[in-house]
Amino acid sequence: MAKDMTLFWGFGSPPCWRTMIALEEKNFQGYNQKLLSFDKGEHKSKEVMDINPRGQLPTFKHGDKILNESYAACMYLESQFKSQGTQLIPESAAEQALMYQRMFEILTFQQKLYDVVYYEYYVPEGERLDSALKRNKEALTAELQLWENYLQKMETGSYLAGKKFTMADVVGFPVVAYAFHHGLSEERYPKLTEYYNLVKERPSMKATWPKDWQENPQGTDKLKDL
Amino acid sequence: MAQDMTLHWSSGSPPCWRVLIALEEKNLKGYNQKLLSMEKGEHKGKETLDINPRGQVPAFKHGNNVVNESIAACLYLESQFKSSGNKLIPDSAQEQALTYQRALEALNLQQRLADLAQYTMRVPEAERHDSAVKRNREALAAELQIWEGYLQKGGPYLAGKNFSMADVVFFPLIAIILRFGLSQEKHPSLTRYYNQVKDRPSVKATWPPHWVNNPPGMDMLKDL
Repeated sequence: MAKDMTLFWGFGSPPCWRTMIALEEKNFQGYNQKLLSFDKGEHKSKEVMDINPRGQLPTFKHGDKILNESYAACMYLESQFKSQGTQLIPESAAEQALMYQRMFEILTFQQKLYDVVYYEYYVPEGERLDSALKRNKEALTAELQLWENYLQKMETGSYLAGKKFTMADVVGFPVVAYAFHHGLSEERYPKLTEYYNLVKERPSMKATWPKDWQENPQGTDKLKDL
Repeated sequence: MAQDMTLHWSSGSPPCWRVLIALEEKNLKGYNQKLLSMEKGEHKGKETLDINPRGQVPAFKHGNNVVNESIAACLYLESQFKSSGNKLIPDSAQEQALTYQRALEALNLQQRLADLAQYTMRVPEAERHDSAVKRNREALAAELQIWEGYLQKGGPYLAGKNFSMADVVFFPLIAIILRFGLSQEKHPSLTRYYNQVKDRPSVKATWPPHWVNNPPGMDMLKDL
C-alpha cells in the first residue's frame, strides 16, 4: 500500500506537513518520498511537473491517483482507509459539522499567516509597502484572537473540533506550529500555546516534525509583536 | 430535516451558490433561507452574525450545527444525507481521488479570481499598483488555461462521467467568470462544460435571481 505512494515535499510548507501527518495517522510508513528544494527550483522539475502541472509541493500520488491538494490527500486517505489508524472524521453530526467548519476555516488562517510571514515571497519588491504589511499583521492578529477564543470556549485539553483529535487538527496544527515558529507570543496566546504543546507530543507530529527546524529551532520573530 | 436548516445567502456569490446546489442535489427543500444584499451590508446584520461571527455569507446551520465555510457545508450535507438525492462523492478510488483533487484545486481559481475582481475592494487606493493588477490578470488567465486543459482531455464533468462535488464547487466560479465576459471562443472546453452543467435541475433551480433577465453589468474579463 505505502509502496504505491509517492510524495514530493519541501521545507517551509504547511501543506506538505499536512499530507505527511495524514499518512502517519493512517499508519502509512515506508512510502516513497523525495525532499526537494524550493530555493533551487526543484518543485518545477520534470518529475514533479509530470504529476503536478502546477509545479507545487506537496505532489502526491497513490498508484495512478493524483492528490496534490493537501486537503484532498487527507480526505482521500481517510475515506479509503477508514478502519486503518486513527479515525479522523467523527461519526456524530454535531462533531462532524464542527470538524468540517474548523478544517476549512484553517484555510483563512493559513492565508493570513502567509500574508505576513511570506510577504516578501509573494509581493515583488517594487510593490511592497509598510502600510500593506501592517494591515496584513492586523488581519492576522484578529484571526489569531478568533482561534484563541474558539479554544478558550472549550474544555482544557481540547482539540480544534472538540475532545478528539480529528482532520481539523491534521490540517490546522501545522499552521499553528508555523505561527509559533515565527515568534508568536506564548503569553498573549495561552490557549493556542496549550493546544500546540498538547498536539506536538503526538507520535505523528514527532515523526514528521520539520527537520529544518531541528537544526534551526529559532525560526524568525516576524510575529513576536502580534 | 430541511426545516431545521437555515441559510443566509447572496445572489451570485459562488460560495453561497455551492451550498444552494448541494441542498438541491441532496433533495433538501423547504429550508429556511434569507437572501441578503452584500452591497447594503446585510451580511453584517445581527441575524447573520449570530450564525457566522465572521459576518460572511454563506451562513448555514442545521439545528445547532453551524457550517459556514461553503465546501465544509457541502461535505457535511453529503456525509449526513449520503443516501438522499445524488451521490456527490463517488465510492471508487479512482473517481473519488479525482473528485477531491479537483474540488480542492478549484480554490486556486477562486483565489485568482478574487485577487483580480476584488482588488479595488481590498487594496486601499494609495497602495494600488498597475503591475499588481497585471500580475493578477496573468495569473487568472494561466489558471483558466489549466482548467481548459482538464476539460479538453477529460469530461464531460470534472471528475469524469458523473457530476460530483468537484462540479458543485467549481461551476459557480466558471459561471461568474463567463458572466464577467470571458471569451467563449478562446475557452471552448470551459464553455462546453458551462453549457452542459447550466441546465442541470439543481443549477437551474438555484440560478442567481439577479442574473435572470439582467445582462451582466461588467465585462472585466473579456480581454483575458
